Amino acid sequence: MSSRLYPIYQQGNPQLRIFLPNFFMKLVKPSDPQPPNVVQFIVPVQMTRYDIKNYLEKIYSVPVENIVTHVRMGKFERNFKGYIIKKDDYKVAYVTLPRTEKFVFPDLFPENKQKEADKELEKIDTLKAEWDASIKRHKHRQGVPTWFGL
Amino acid sequence: MTTDKYFKILPNSAFIHTSGSHKALSEFFDNEKNWGESEVKVGRAWKLDELRIKSNEDLHKLWYVLLKEKNMLLTMEHAAQEENRLFPNPERIDKVEESMKNLEDVVKERNRAYWLLETGETGERPSSLIEDELGREVHKMFDEHPVPMDHESEDTISKWQDVRNFQRLMKEKEFLEKRRALRRVRSHVCKLLRRFPDVDMEKLQQQYPEVDVQALRKRKDSRGHHDKNLS
Repeated sequence: MSSRLYPIYQQGNPQLRIFLPNFFMKLVKPSDPQPPNVVQFIVPVQMTRYDIKNYLEKIYSVPVENIVTHVRMGKFERNFKGYIIKKDDYKVAYVTLPRTEKFVFPDLFPENKQKEADKELEKIDTLKAEWDASIKRHKHRQGVPTWFGL
Repeated sequence: MTTDKYFKILPNSAFIHTSGSHKALSEFFDNEKNWGESEVKVGRAWKLDELRIKSNEDLHKLWYVLLKEKNMLLTMEHAAQEENRLFPNPERIDKVEESMKNLEDVVKERNRAYWLLETGETGERPSSLIEDELGREVHKMFDEHPVPMDHESEDTISKWQDVRNFQRLMKEKEFLEKRRALRRVRSHVCKLLRRFPDVDMEKLQQQYPEVDVQALRKRKDSRGHHDKNLS
């Protein structure tokens, strides 16, 4: 359950003893509609479904019923210079929780906070417009005090 | 690491479940008050010296804390990318990764010290500089083999003409690179001598040991617009 190399044989059992696993797991929004007890993850390509099961059960204590994994090919894109680049491949894991469990992907970008951010942007826009207007007004009166022109 | 709440052990206990896994899966997301924020303030990464005074058990616990934090940050970053939003403070991922690297280094240090004390070996994966099939010197980490490798049956490849051609071209390339580098240094020193005729020659020689500064001083390239020219 780690990308490091392990010895072929070591004394004692179990043979595979893993300390400090270094695999990551990303919980992502399901790309297609799924049953309520299915959670979609993106994991490293080296990670097997046994690794995923152990990872979720031992580290996160999430009960797991079934796991389906697919390796997806990274997208080909044309960058701004014109040549084609390829994104890395990745593995998608669909983890089925017990029938009684439910998981809904939360709304991570609530609208009210977005509105506040938009309001601040509007404020900056109005200030910018005022500044531009004043610059335009005093463009040909450099070095003259502002009260001069009324 | 409690797995005693595992569902399969209690097949008829569905009616007492308290949606524990939902809470566990929420560890993949940031604190709810940080959702949609444009800035999330955090501290710095763990330093080596701070980790060295921790016990093995603490380090082990801290690793899982960091791992969960990293998973959370990667999840949030991915969500932000999907929504075409900015991920607040992306340097958090770097901080966590630095902490994890430092922690692993400390664990390796301890492991090494233990092995040296007990067996006289470092206990790390052996490696050395070896010559590969194409005649290049490469740093190779050795693999374990269940059966010892037969060394005599291997060196057939270096007799191929293609390999010899490759080695010749590689030597030529290395030679040209070396010559260009020397020329670059030489012209740089000449420029310095041209610009600063009263420069400390010994110090210059110390800084650029690959060229003969006294000889360069007499060259035409080191002539400047002053009356201190030697040639």
